[in-house]
Amino acid sequence: MWSRVVEMMLGLWLLMSPFIFRYDDSQTMIWASDYACGSAVIVFSLLSYVQSCRKIHLMNIAIGFWLVGFAYYLGFGDAPPAAQNSLILGMVLLMFAVIPSEASVPAPRWR
Amino acid sequence: MVDRMVAEEESVIEDSLLHQMDAIPQPWDYNPSAWDQRIPICILAMIAFFIASYMGLYQWRLVDSAWDPIFGDQTEKVLDSGVSEKMRRWFLVPDAIFGAVAYLGDAIFGLAGSTRRWQYRPWMVIVFGIDVIPLGIVSVVLVVLQGTIVGSWCFLCLVTAVISLILVYMAYDEVWSCLLYLRKVWKETKSKKIMWKTFWGLRTSEADRVAEEFIRMPKESPKRKSTPSK
Repeated sequence: MWSRVVEMMLGLWLLMSPFIFRYDDSQTMIWASDYACGSAVIVFSLLSYVQSCRKIHLMNIAIGFWLVGFAYYLGFGDAPPAAQNSLILGMVLLMFAVIPSEASVPAPRWR
Repeated sequence: MVDRMVAEEESVIEDSLLHQMDAIPQPWDYNPSAWDQRIPICILAMIAFFIASYMGLYQWRLVDSAWDPIFGDQTEKVLDSGVSEKMRRWFLVPDAIFGAVAYLGDAIFGLAGSTRRWQYRPWMVIVFGIDVIPLGIVSVVLVVLQGTIVGSWCFLCLVTAVISLILVYMAYDEVWSCLLYLRKVWKETKSKKIMWKTFWGLRTSEADRVAEEFIRMPKESPKRKSTPSK
């Protein structure tokens, strides 16, 4: 479950980002994106611990794509810190989101 | 009595063949998905990750100067070059940070998966292979181009380029086994559906049969069913 734990940390980082990068109060879109994505990542990762929806972490792939797309929407060329943060978080999240929860053992059908 | 024992033993081998976590795939005489094969890749990738991050911190100006024991200020010239600036406009982040994310990916995909992931999760080995091999080679080419086009050399860039090449060498065996296995499944079934399932690690009796011929057991413990580590 290490990938789920890392995803939750990434989610927390997204929730902290507006304060770390000092977003302006007027930048509502960026606040909203980081807060919505951060909380959704944490919820999906936590829900993955429930046996009946253990594959729901795959939803984090969609969030990863959103974060990357949103970064490009925010700034092509001279990207502001918020966009760079969104891009990096999106790429890292994409990598972790595809890792199965019980990654070190074979999937149940092979056991 | 003895016959029955032998028969029983044989069936144990047959039965456990597909669950042997240390099975050796063709064409090697070791298991390329074993932990002792993969952990060094992850460690090396993490070293490159930290080096690339450091250069990225300089490009972000979070550190004031870039360390270089051989080429002096040439590292800073490379990191602040027009090529690098152009790449930043495309990637949004400094190119070194992009490299760092790729090295982190090498480590993540190196760690994920069981010791028989070449068969149980081929997609994971292929993603790992794409991250290590083509991306690694592209980064090496870029570093060499830096030297020839920008006209300056960067010691830490060269270190990461060497690490990239070592990673390619260390990772290709597993990717090769995985591709051979997929090719064999294709050759013997000619079914797109089975190929699709095999790629995503879904079980089919046809692919199981191919895998059975594809592996052999390590000599010292032919009947031991190793317990997978979590």
